[in-house]
Amino acid sequence: MIQTKDITKTVNTSEGSLQILQPISFQVKAGESIAIVGASGSGKSTLLSLLAGLDEVSTGEIFLDGAPLHTFDEEQRARLRGDKVGFIFQSFMLVQSLTAIENVMLPAEIAGLSDAKKRASKILEQVGLGHRSHHYPNQLSGGEQQRVAIARAFIGQPKILFADEPTGNLDAANSVKIEDLLFDLNREIGTTLVLVTHDNELAKKCDRQLQMLAGELTEVTERAQHATGPVPQGVAHGR
Amino acid sequence: MVVNLAWRLFKHEARRGELTIILFAIILSVASVLSLSLFSERLQSALVERSSQFIAADSQLRSRKPISEDWLSQAQAQGLATARQVSTRSMAFGESLMSLVDLRAVSDTYPLKGEIKVADQPFGSPTPVASTPAPGEIWIDSRLFQLLDVKLGSTVYIGDGEFTVKRVLSEIPDQGFSIFNTDPMVLMALSDLPATNITGPGSRVSYKAYYTGSDASIEEYYEWLRPQLDEELHRWEEVGDDESAIGRSIARAERYFLLASLLAIVLAAVAIAVAAQRYSQRHFDPVAIFKTLGATKQMIRRVYVLQILFITVLGITVGIIAGVIIQQLVVIALAGQVDVSLDVWHWRPVFIAVLTGSICAVLFSLYPLLRLFSVPPLRVLRRDMGAGLSSKGLQFGASGGAIFLLMWIYSRDVEISAILFGSGALLVVALLFVTFGLIAVGRWLGQGAMGAWQLAWARIRRRAMDNSVQLISFSITIMLLLVVLVMRNDMVAQWRAQLPENTPNYFMSNITESQKDDLEQHFADQQVRIDEFYPVVRGRFVAVNDEQVSTEVTKEDDPEQSEGRQGLGREANLTWSNKLQTENRIVAGQWHADWQPPGDDGNAEAGIVYPVSVESGVAKRLNIAMDDTLTFNVGSEIVRTRVTSIREVNWQTMQPNFFFVLHPDAMQNFNATYITSFHLDAQRKSEITALMLPFASVTLFDVDARINQLRDIIDQVSLAVEFILVLVLIAGSLVLFAQVQASMDERQQELAILRTLGAKGRLIRFSVINEFLIIGSVAGLMAAMANEFSLFLLQWRVFDMEASMHWEYWLIAPTVGALVVGVLGALGCYRLLRLNTGQLLRKMV
Repeated sequence: MIQTKDITKTVNTSEGSLQILQPISFQVKAGESIAIVGASGSGKSTLLSLLAGLDEVSTGEIFLDGAPLHTFDEEQRARLRGDKVGFIFQSFMLVQSLTAIENVMLPAEIAGLSDAKKRASKILEQVGLGHRSHHYPNQLSGGEQQRVAIARAFIGQPKILFADEPTGNLDAANSVKIEDLLFDLNREIGTTLVLVTHDNELAKKCDRQLQMLAGELTEVTERAQHATGPVPQGVAHGR
Repeated sequence: MVVNLAWRLFKHEARRGELTIILFAIILSVASVLSLSLFSERLQSALVERSSQFIAADSQLRSRKPISEDWLSQAQAQGLATARQVSTRSMAFGESLMSLVDLRAVSDTYPLKGEIKVADQPFGSPTPVASTPAPGEIWIDSRLFQLLDVKLGSTVYIGDGEFTVKRVLSEIPDQGFSIFNTDPMVLMALSDLPATNITGPGSRVSYKAYYTGSDASIEEYYEWLRPQLDEELHRWEEVGDDESAIGRSIARAERYFLLASLLAIVLAAVAIAVAAQRYSQRHFDPVAIFKTLGATKQMIRRVYVLQILFITVLGITVGIIAGVIIQQLVVIALAGQVDVSLDVWHWRPVFIAVLTGSICAVLFSLYPLLRLFSVPPLRVLRRDMGAGLSSKGLQFGASGGAIFLLMWIYSRDVEISAILFGSGALLVVALLFVTFGLIAVGRWLGQGAMGAWQLAWARIRRRAMDNSVQLISFSITIMLLLVVLVMRNDMVAQWRAQLPENTPNYFMSNITESQKDDLEQHFADQQVRIDEFYPVVRGRFVAVNDEQVSTEVTKEDDPEQSEGRQGLGREANLTWSNKLQTENRIVAGQWHADWQPPGDDGNAEAGIVYPVSVESGVAKRLNIAMDDTLTFNVGSEIVRTRVTSIREVNWQTMQPNFFFVLHPDAMQNFNATYITSFHLDAQRKSEITALMLPFASVTLFDVDARINQLRDIIDQVSLAVEFILVLVLIAGSLVLFAQVQASMDERQQELAILRTLGAKGRLIRFSVINEFLIIGSVAGLMAAMANEFSLFLLQWRVFDMEASMHWEYWLIAPTVGALVVGVLGALGCYRLLRLNTGQLLRKMV
């Protein structure tokens, strides 16, 4: 589903150019869930942004469901995201001026689906927020907002779901709920999940864990025993 | 889908108050432009209507030859109403006495505007009459009853005609006003004129055709007529051409309305620019989210352009309604005070308001929108990422260009637009310098323990670029308000100065040298103060540099002179004085007070060339330059003069003014008569007959009616100007408020952090208030400077006024600026500080 070949990311700073990602190559199979773990500033969010097509690689190749992302311009990447990718963010990233249901409808509407509202209602029920569908984000708790975000991420039944610290802004009780919801929906829809976190407990729920350290993908942890789904065959290595 | 999404965003944002500021700015721009221009258009047409009474029509064609019947038929064919008048000076004979009269023969449609007024008895109170003299009858001036010793019903002979005196003529609309050789007026039917045989070859006759109709049809007719006119013979005059005091006051008021409306547009534009910038910044996150979720640039562009369209349409609609209501309120408020109908509806202001709203909404949101479109999707992960596009040059260029375009379209006057725009641009540049100066000062002042002042300075320094934009918008707003305010004060003050309380309301002429002292004494005994005596000698103006002056350059045969302007022609009124009159200003050469006659070499007397001072307008018209020799024939003598100075004369004062002022030596051998003026209180009017009794030969002119008319108009125009000022002030205050609101949002995050860190409300409040005080006072000071600059240009170039400095505003503007901006800041801050930290932080999300 995802294949990277020697991708790097270099940024220009006032003190010259800085390579924030060392050449990275790895593969993620369809339906697999992987966690990218690492300390703050290790480059894990940068890697996520490259994998999701939110940013461009400096060198190397990325294939997302076979599409050569590294050759795409912003417009093509946007289309690809709309077709195949779902997102969950630490800060929820809901549009404040739209209600819960309208936020959930957004990806379906952008994709031009005519039954956006029906789908949104259904999935909001699924995440347990049917009764709050007409509330605005700032009228919802953090946990509820993240559930809306999850509903939004899954409405288009994406092939790949990227989650950036999905429980980072939540308390323990809400975190557990969100994690369960995330993995349940993931299993149900058969989405490939790429999760960035520094929460080792969360990471352990994924099939595989990749460790980022100072821009290098240095370690591959075998999949946690309690995780279900197909056993991954992919490898990841840093150079 | 795009429309749905855009509509949904618009609906929710409107409901949640997210669009309030930008919507409010558009409403404000449309409402203020509409109400101002609707009101000024209505007032202008009402004033034009009123001033058209002074020329008895909308337009007038004056000619020294009979006006072709074809020209009048053509006018009628084009839908214009017409009237005619033929005027000349002639002798009128009673049974035993005779007098020179100012004869006016008019068609029965005369006057097209204004009224003829008659009285029951000589010097009786005037009442309007709807008719004109019937064939065979004449209406005559009160004075003529004495001069010819006639009564109503008596017979008077003019030329070969014989007429019955039917009414006492008090006033005709376009009689003009001149205190020199004004003969008593006689009004007769035009059809009677040929029978008198007085307009034969050689007689000096003036012909007038009057026209009324719509502006467009008059314009069309004039286009047809113009090629047939002969500059030497014909003169086309429209209401706007009125060079009189009233005409100039109205012209100035019109320019003021234009200025105020222009400034309202700029104010609205500033408000929209501020609001659009804020709108754009608040949508960085949604755009990043849309992009992340797969929206293409085109889709986002459509969503936001549609949003702007919805906002614009709503803003314009509400703005139009609000504008009409405001305007109607003004009309109701003014109804009792302005003696003109304000009911005529005009479409142009509506068109202008819609255009303004649209141009403002589109052009001022262009840059913020372009910035918005350039927000990268990566912002969802890296919250510090702003818009990809950032170009102050593009921002200032686009908004500056839009403002200039708006001004130009609206005023159709490049000069007034360029002046306002230029001073605004200069202000922006100056402010950028000041901002960076402030940063330097702030670095120094912001050191030390963190008190409210240090916090304020630190914030100003940190947000230098944001503050510079804010400072510029505050300064421009304050400057525009100052321009409108100070301009109004100067203008009204100058108008009032023309007619101070004791403005002379009577003029006397034909006073002989021997009567002078007695007259002065007699008036002093009655507690009436007489103004200066001006000697007058009638002279023939015969040559310039020894070249004969042809009659064509003179106005002698034109019995009507505009108000305050005395006759010039082959017969000129010459005066002499060592002292330069007040309201006269030398523009070239030197006043002749110090002139000494050349040494006495026996026969020098005849050859002396005396100095003369010439009025600048007549110098231009007759092509007279400094050092030219002008020759006058006074009595049987030749007086040679050399132009030693050229004077600019303020014709708007009610005082005698002269085209030619000679050195007293030049006139010592001639017998002069004198003219003077005095003021008599309204309640003493009944004493006038007794006052004048001992001086039967002195001619008296009562100009009270004229002065009251002028005063009325000036009062009404001043009142209107005041209303406009209030409207602009309200608009400006609202803009300031919008600016403070917008900048308050930007401060929200910082307030939340300070609050979270445990800063006391008092410290935060004072630091914010101090910050606004600093910004307000700097903006005020900058505005005062820019105001001075633009006022100087405006008064000099546009308003034809004497420019002056306004030092008081250099103190007032920073003080008021600091206070207003400080108070608004405090209010905005109070709102934020009432929220608890949790609410504050949530608002930031």
